[in-house]
Formats: sequence, C-alpha cells, structure tokens
Amino acid sequence: MLNYFHNHFQAFNRAMVRIFSNLASSFMMFIVIGVTLFLPSSGLLIVENIAQISNNIAYDAELSLFLKKNIKQDQIDFIQSALSKTSVIKRVHFESKLTAWDKLQSKLNLNPLDTGISENPLPDAFFISLNTFDEKAINVLIDNLKTIDGVENIFFDAGWVKKLRSILYLIKIGLAFLGVILIIVLIVVIGNTIRLQTLTHKDEIEVSKLIGATNSFIQRPFIYTGLMYGLGGGFITVFTLKLSIEIFNKASINLEAMLGGTFILKNLIWQQNLTIITIAMLIGCFASFFAARQSIKKFEIFK
Amino acid sequence: MITFDKVFKRYPGNMDALQNINLEILPAELVFVTGPSGAGKSTLLKLISSVERPTSGTIVFENRNLSQLKSKDIPYLRRKFGMIFQDHKLLYDRNCFENVSLPLDINDIEGLDINRRVRAALDKVGLLNKEKVMPISLSGGEQQRLAIARAIVSRPSILIADEPTGNLDREYADEIMNIFYSFQQVGVTVIISTHELPITPIKHKKVHLIGGELKDQINYAKLLS
Repeated sequence: MLNYFHNHFQAFNRAMVRIFSNLASSFMMFIVIGVTLFLPSSGLLIVENIAQISNNIAYDAELSLFLKKNIKQDQIDFIQSALSKTSVIKRVHFESKLTAWDKLQSKLNLNPLDTGISENPLPDAFFISLNTFDEKAINVLIDNLKTIDGVENIFFDAGWVKKLRSILYLIKIGLAFLGVILIIVLIVVIGNTIRLQTLTHKDEIEVSKLIGATNSFIQRPFIYTGLMYGLGGGFITVFTLKLSIEIFNKASINLEAMLGGTFILKNLIWQQNLTIITIAMLIGCFASFFAARQSIKKFEIFK
Repeated sequence: MITFDKVFKRYPGNMDALQNINLEILPAELVFVTGPSGAGKSTLLKLISSVERPTSGTIVFENRNLSQLKSKDIPYLRRKFGMIFQDHKLLYDRNCFENVSLPLDINDIEGLDINRRVRAALDKVGLLNKEKVMPISLSGGEQQRLAIARAIVSRPSILIADEPTGNLDREYADEIMNIFYSFQQVGVTVIISTHELPITPIKHKKVHLIGGELKDQINYAKLLS
C-alpha cells in the first residue's frame, strides 16, 4: 500500500518537474484552459443572476380582479371570503371604486368638473398576491374566478416574466451547448499537448517498457500533468470570474445615478469555485489519460 | 531455463529473420550469440524479451510459452530480465542514481530498499562515487557500466545484452565483459549478442547465426570441463 502511494508520489513529482521545466508553455496551457472555461462560466453566472431576479419578480406578481359596476356589498364579501380560502393566494387587498377614484384624482390632479366626468368610471377591485408561479395552477384559479358572479375582468400581468424566463432558459441551453463544445476543444488541446509530451519523452517510455513498466505506470506522470493543467486552468477561470464580477459591480455602482438603479452580480460561493476547478481537473485528467494511452501503445521498441 | 523449439520469425515483406531455431539455454549459463550483421542476433534477443513474437514454434521460459503470452503479462516477464543495449538507452535528464533506481520504482520496491540496492549496484560497476552525476558527463565505458547497474539492480535471473561492447574501445570492452563474467559466476544467466567472440577462459556457450539459421552451437563449458 505504501509502495502504491510512493509510486503515485513519484509520478506526481515527475509531472511537476515537467511542468516547472517548461514553465512558460505550462502557463500558456493554464491560460488556454482558464479562458476557455471562463466563457461558459461567465455566461452561466450572468444568467443565474438574472434568473434570480426574475424569480423574485414572479412571487411579487399580482392578479387583478375587477368587479362589475353594479355589484352588491354581500357579493363583494362572498368573493373576498372565497379568495381568502384559496390555497394559491398569499394575500388579498380590496380597493373600492371610491378609493381608487380618489387616488386617481389626486395623482393626476383631476377635477371632475373640468374633465366632464359625471360619475366614477372605476370598478371595485381585488389585488391578489400569489404564492405560486405554476402556470397550470394560475390558469385554474383564473378559470374558477371567472365563474363567480360579479366578476367582470381578470388580469394577470406576468407575461413578460414568463418571456424572460423562456429567454433565460434558451440562453442556458445555448451556454450548455457552448460549454460542451469548448470542453471538447479543451480535450483536444490538452490531449494534443500531452501527445507531444509523450513524443518528447519517447526514450524514457521505450526504456521503461523494456525494463518492465506497465502502460499505466508510464501513463501516470502524463495524467498528473493533465490534472495539474486542469488545476492551474481552473484557478485562472475562478480568478478571472472574480475579477470580472468586481469590475462589473464597481461599474454598476458608478452608473447608479445615471441609470437610476444597480444590477449587482453575486460573487461565486466556494462550492461553485470548487466545481469549476474540479471540472477543469477532470477535463485535464480525461484528455491526458486518453492521449497518453493512445501514444504509449504506439511505442514498441528495441533497435 | 529458456528453450527454443522450431522457432521461425518472419518480418513483413517475407524477410526471414530466424529459421528453425532449436536452442536450450540453461540456468547460470554464459551464452554468446554471434554472427554478422543481419544474422538474426537481435531478433533472437527480442523473442526472449517478448518484444517480438515468433511467427511459428515455441519459446518456453519458466514453463511458460512466450509465444502465447498475453500482452498484459509481458511487462511482468520483462522484470525478470536485465537488459543492456549497445546505445545504453540511459535517461539523460536523470542522474546516475535515478537511472539505476527506475527498475525498482517499476517493481514497487520501498524507498529505503531502493537507496541501498542502487548504491550496491553502482558499487558493483565502480560508479558509487558518481550517483549524482548526469550520464552525459560519463565516458562511453562508464555509461555502459551505468546501464549494467540499471540491469542488475532488480536482481534478475537473466541478463540480456545486445552488442554491449559494440561502441567501446578494447580496454572498455574487456572491462564490461569482466563484469558480465562476474555475474555469471554468481549464478546469473547471461546472454550476449556480439559480432566477435571475445577471447575468454570462462566456460560459455557459443551460438552462431548466419542468415537467420543456427549454423553452430558449441558448448565450451562442456569442452573445458
């Protein structure tokens, strides 16, 4: 067991020697991996932030239920009690036509005499906050409310949120697709680098084979090299993301006065950072494993 | 120990490298495989170390038919041999100690044992004082001695040397041969391919190949005894 770890430590050591002996090209590889992973990661970060905002908007959305003009108070009471018993409704606010009319007049500085409006044109209304955003549940609620006597119109003004969500969903799919393509690109790039390294270490591979090394023994330093490329690249991705978020948020705060609001990107939590680094390491490991295996198989020896 | 029975080896292009080889190599025997270039000497060694497989016939080593050996078992077979080459095949980015310790790393030998055995092997070939030296700064003879140290460090039962003195001066060549004789004296089977048979008072077997055929097989060990 101790020998197993000793062997792996030696392979790791050998990989580190290779990385440090070609520090410039190793660093270039870190940057290639880091920047390539930065593209889908930053896209997903922005989409996640926007999705978070859209989720918050969805729960604050209201259903507006307008009543018939000639509705009686007992009907209003009946509707209110029916609404308060409905499970998907979080909060109900009743606004009488008189209150609404007063508010409108004061807001617009209207004088009924000046406008020629002889009577209150506004209906009584309920403003309902929902505790769900499930489309089916909302449609069922709307259909039920329409059947109640005294209900004139119902408006659910959350269509734009749905559109935003659909757009975000499409962007997510696009980013996932881009991510897959970029991962394939990374596998090819890392694999090719490792393949070239096997050619550089051709003599070592040949000698090792001749004196009884198994292919997995020979492969090990190359796999550790790929793993370390992934680690370096992953750190660069995380660092670049953090830097981008800081720069974006500072710019957003500076433009607050001009735009009348801010959009602050949330920083990545440590689990997300770890996930990015792990993915980068797995890509490095996977690419180097297959590239080294293919190359090493080709070396058969003795001259 | 190693038995060749009606072994043929044909390379692509219908070139017969070896034809109908029947040969027996006994434990602790010193065998010189001689013959001109293209005689099949290297092919014979390749077949023993399973770098090549015979086209037909059987090669038996420790009751195992090497021609039917699975690929995954070949590295474990090669660990039983110590191999030495004309061009040394040293790793020039590693020092002498690291070159010699490579077979022990492959064989999963523990760290402390590695240190002891590498120093013993270097001592045996007279390079103990050069363990931190890079091979490039050694002379041809020293490089070959380093290659021998690497071959013996894992204590193989068979040493296979493919023209080990081919690139060396007479003085160095004799030095290398003396090292081989010393191993044969302690019970190691030594198989050496060479163009010319060295003048030696040691009991040995000569296997002479011409054009892939075994032309001559003389056991000087029996003659001398």
